[in-house]
Amino acid sequence: MRIDYRIEHPVALHASFEVAGFTVLLGASGEGKTLLLSAIAGLVAARGEPFDGLPPQQRAVGYLPQGHALFPHLRAWENVAFSLRGARRREQAMQWLERVGMAGLAERWPASLSGGQQQRVALARALARRPSLLLLDEPTSALDPVTRDEVLAELIAEVHQAGIPALAVSHDPALAAVADRLVLMHGRRIVQIGTPEAVHAQPASGAVARLLGLRNVQRGRIVGAPGAQRLSWPEADASLRVETALPDGTAVDWHVPPAAVRLHDPAAAPDDAIAATFELRQTSPHRNYLGMRCGQARLWVEPPVGYELPAAPMLSLPPDAIRCWPVEEHA
Amino acid sequence: MTPAADPTRYRPGLSALPAALALLLLATPFVGLLLATDWRHFGFAHGDGGAVRVSLGYSLIALLPIVALGTPLAWWLARHRVRGQWLVDALLLVSLLTPPLAMGLLLASMYGPYGPAGHLLERAGLLLTNSAPAFILAQFYAALPYYVMAARTAFEGVPRELEQIALTLGYSPWRSFVHVSLPLARLGLAAAVALAWVRALGEFGAVLIVAYYPQGIPVKLWVNLQDIGLDAVYPLLWVFFAAALPLPLALGMAVRRRLS
Repeated sequence: MRIDYRIEHPVALHASFEVAGFTVLLGASGEGKTLLLSAIAGLVAARGEPFDGLPPQQRAVGYLPQGHALFPHLRAWENVAFSLRGARRREQAMQWLERVGMAGLAERWPASLSGGQQQRVALARALARRPSLLLLDEPTSALDPVTRDEVLAELIAEVHQAGIPALAVSHDPALAAVADRLVLMHGRRIVQIGTPEAVHAQPASGAVARLLGLRNVQRGRIVGAPGAQRLSWPEADASLRVETALPDGTAVDWHVPPAAVRLHDPAAAPDDAIAATFELRQTSPHRNYLGMRCGQARLWVEPPVGYELPAAPMLSLPPDAIRCWPVEEHA
Repeated sequence: MTPAADPTRYRPGLSALPAALALLLLATPFVGLLLATDWRHFGFAHGDGGAVRVSLGYSLIALLPIVALGTPLAWWLARHRVRGQWLVDALLLVSLLTPPLAMGLLLASMYGPYGPAGHLLERAGLLLTNSAPAFILAQFYAALPYYVMAARTAFEGVPRELEQIALTLGYSPWRSFVHVSLPLARLGLAAAVALAWVRALGEFGAVLIVAYYPQGIPVKLWVNLQDIGLDAVYPLLWVFFAAALPLPLALGMAVRRRLS
């Protein structure tokens, strides 16, 4: 489904993109993402397709706001039955609750449900309206971090099962990672569209890289012409060898993957290695990172398994691992 | 092992003293009433029964237009911000501020036989002086601003997002109001009705001017005092409390039961 909306107030915003499957619009806070969802739902004044000019009650959208907005005076099943009419509404509501695995809690009041349970009731309520588009505002924000991944997987499975295009807006890279399609917003503009794989492989800018949650996105400046270039990194007071086609003096956002950064013993370090001090260790079941302080900046390093950190470590960044994006003028 | 004290549990500290004093001060006039009532010769003056019927019956009737007109106004005030809204706020405040006697005089000058509105209405057969409609009119003006203020606060407490969600679920604004705004504001609205009831029933000044007849309890208290003396006031006052208290007391208890 094609979304094309133009908003004038309270901020000017124009967004045009395709929603297919579970689409995530990723953008920082204050980009107007919630405003865009409200506009599509008809709750703020805007022009655009689909649903142009229709009052909200005639727009076939299932809107799940942040915090889920269940009606506190209605039980779980009554919330789901809200948009249903007729003698069989309770029965139908129970079927929707069954689908999201909440039938056992049908008689509960919203206040007694967990964040994930409330979200599933809100999803059932939105689906019961038989929408042609689902709108989800920051669906991961009210979830318990421990169960978040499972709840998220559940949500996406249900959206896929319902077969309705869904647009989720978020600033959470974890949500972007599970999207079918990713739309990136920066400076109130759409800056990149693609599958998560494609976007992760080729982020269009430093801003996109930051939105994707990439570690080690830094600021710098290209010094020298292509062929004999260096990257000036003022925060660490360092100069790095790089290989780009950018002209001399270009301000850049640059990135180096933590796994590409090499750690050296001072005695065996290459000439242009950077002095660093150990700051913190981040251990997770999947990866281990070391936070290294380089001047004013922090560089994340993913050391080889079992690596013993020397007392005064030096870091070197392979030129072919550094990716540079020219910084847009207004940023 | 002894259980640790709950640090969030309320412990009456220094605040208990002024609170107790406030309660004592509130109770003092009624202790006076208890002591002053001549319980051995407890009896009613002629017409007291009629005054009770007038007060209860007409106050109940007055609640209807107060709620029917005040609720939409309160909702509108809670949900809309328009240029010149301060004028509406000022109008409500002036209505609250006007001394009841002065309100009675203003009502008489507009709705009385020589007033512009009264003149027109009298031709239509509606006499707004010393009549049941006049009595209800005075109560309406006495209680409406209080009701609107309280109901507005009740509606302001309803998250707008929930009303909007109802719209996205296919509800018209009117159905959203009935099924979401009203039920979520019901506790505050109940308090507003209780307040309006108390105000209407106890109104003396405005009623005295525009509806000396039919006599409700507040005016009858004044008449008893003038014609017979204090001993004829107290029994009627007891009846007044017995008649007026149940509705707001029950509403208030219902509200607090819901909140706890």
